[in-house]
Amino acid sequence: MKYVATLDNVSHVVEVTGGDGRYRLTIGDDVWDVDARLTAQGIYSLLIGGLSYVADVVDREGTCMVDVGGEAYEVLVEEQTRWIIRTKGGAAGAAHGQTLTAPLPGKITHVAVRPGDRVQTGDTLVVIEAMKMENELKAAAAGTVAEVRVAPGQAVNPGDVMVVLRAAAEGE
Amino acid sequence: MKLKKLLVANRGEIAVRVIRACREQGIATVAVFSEADREALHVLMADEAYPIGPPPATESYLKIDTLVDVARRAGADAVHPGYGFLAENARFAEACVAAGLTFVGPPPTAIRAMGDKTSARKIAREMKVPMVPGTLEALRSDDEARTTAAKIGYPVMLKAAMGGGGKGMRLVRAEKELANALRAARAEAGAAFGDTAVYLERAVVEPRHVEIQVLGDAHGAMVHLGERECSIQRRHQKLIEESPSPCVDTELRARMGEAACRVAKAAGYVNAGTVEFLVDADRNFYFLEMNTRLQVEHPVTEMVTGIDLVREQLRIAAGEPLGYTQRDVTWKGWAIECRVNAEDPFGGWLPSPGTITGLRAAGGPGVREDSGAYEGYTVPRFYDTLLAKLIVWGADRATAVERMLRALGEYKVVGVRTTIPALERIVGHPDFRAGRLSTALLERILPGLHAHEGRHANVALIAAVLAEYERARQSTATARDGSNQMDAGPSAWSRSTRPGGREA
Repeated sequence: MKYVATLDNVSHVVEVTGGDGRYRLTIGDDVWDVDARLTAQGIYSLLIGGLSYVADVVDREGTCMVDVGGEAYEVLVEEQTRWIIRTKGGAAGAAHGQTLTAPLPGKITHVAVRPGDRVQTGDTLVVIEAMKMENELKAAAAGTVAEVRVAPGQAVNPGDVMVVLRAAAEGE
Repeated sequence: MKLKKLLVANRGEIAVRVIRACREQGIATVAVFSEADREALHVLMADEAYPIGPPPATESYLKIDTLVDVARRAGADAVHPGYGFLAENARFAEACVAAGLTFVGPPPTAIRAMGDKTSARKIAREMKVPMVPGTLEALRSDDEARTTAAKIGYPVMLKAAMGGGGKGMRLVRAEKELANALRAARAEAGAAFGDTAVYLERAVVEPRHVEIQVLGDAHGAMVHLGERECSIQRRHQKLIEESPSPCVDTELRARMGEAACRVAKAAGYVNAGTVEFLVDADRNFYFLEMNTRLQVEHPVTEMVTGIDLVREQLRIAAGEPLGYTQRDVTWKGWAIECRVNAEDPFGGWLPSPGTITGLRAAGGPGVREDSGAYEGYTVPRFYDTLLAKLIVWGADRATAVERMLRALGEYKVVGVRTTIPALERIVGHPDFRAGRLSTALLERILPGLHAHEGRHANVALIAAVLAEYERARQSTATARDGSNQMDAGPSAWSRSTRPGGREA
């Protein structure tokens, strides 16, 4: 199972396998074998490489509040697909410059722009229906719409290019 | 006269503390509770418990007539007011006495004499106890405030005559701030105490707050039990207390103790009381006020003197003589108390009411916990945030500090935010460890206090992800197997519904 755990505005992809108290977690390049037990409601005992930790974990409005070793952390944990939806492909958009690609499989329900339109950061470009949710995909930067490659009703797969933007000129 | 049945006119940890003392002395206990407190620990622990009204304290714990009526109908012969609520209310003490109940505390006359801070200052002056230069009467006008302030010198502190708890207090650094500060202090005092009278004193910069515990019996004996250092305060609310004080030696203790006894005797004081002093950088001490009740922080005195203060309160109220003199009072080792409040120190110190879903108290050598909480208990939003007091004793201060850090590390409260992580950081701070304490210390430390230093970021990520992973597995298993989960063995995570979590 793949999750994205966000702590202090930094997102980490975490893969988990195992169960019944014994788990293997992959965070980036690190692999952690963890023996974890729930000893009392919300109080977890973790043995990691022989080190013993006691962590309090509470869900507060969707965020995990973790107290461990006298420190308090707020961690947002999401399934990776959910995270991609929520961030509206923001990471993908950034990686591909001004190209908006589909972050997940789904059906286009609405196309909000036409070639030549000028858009601002955060303007909705396309809406994809996936996992029973309408997901608005927004412009990661200001610019002009160069191409629209999708139409309502069309099915898309992850990575499909949907909209191409031309960056706003300096000082514009 | 022996007390047989006592009503505790309070709630929370102090009600529990009083019930424990009564039980050890064979005194039956009567608890009272508001509608918000039916499941509070003091109700569970008392022999009898009666409802006294709706959650707001003004409609329950502050209802003098109701409390006296319940005491009488339950057949109680004594009332202990705890601290806060009606503990320093002379009318309540009078009502108890009028109903034939023994009030476990000072006589109403002493409560009145010390309750008005300007009258308390007059007594202190008559007893030649040093005081911060200032007025003995409430200020009559802004003009008077201006001339007095100029005479004693800035900075000055404005204080409410009927005040306490930091309300109606204003620091004035220069004359141009005086008019506004007067207006603010009067307004605050009026709202908090129903009396706008304020007086002024010279402000002691970065003072230590040191208080002396006194005990007097009804036969004229009065002893002091040494000092408590209460300088670690946030917005005039004490957070950490200790005894002895790092700034008080045997000679200063004797002088402050003797001064405290003199003031208490002059006020006709009987039972346990506390005389508060400011101590400046040159170790001069100045009378501040007298608290005519048991203090929250009384356990640190108990730990170093071996004297059970609540037991002594009950004995004194029953008319017994103290049975010892000042020479018999000795001090051993060092005690520190931390206040575990349901507040979020990383979220503006806002109250954090809610259900305590997980609780593991600290234990082991030299650790004492006075608590009003338990696992499953819901902290109501109507009262103060004090959940528990963690007290440690060590042979010396360094040992006590390390022990407190160890105990705070063990203490786990899940479901509500508490002051525990902030307390750990404060106790571990170099200034605290070195005993460099002042009422300004927290203002310096707290802005640099972060929720975490990133030492355990990976562990936090792992714990958070595993909690989510197991929650998802559980809900999948439930969805697949429905309620016919016959062969599901006891999983390590079988109780892992996420505490406080929302419905998936």
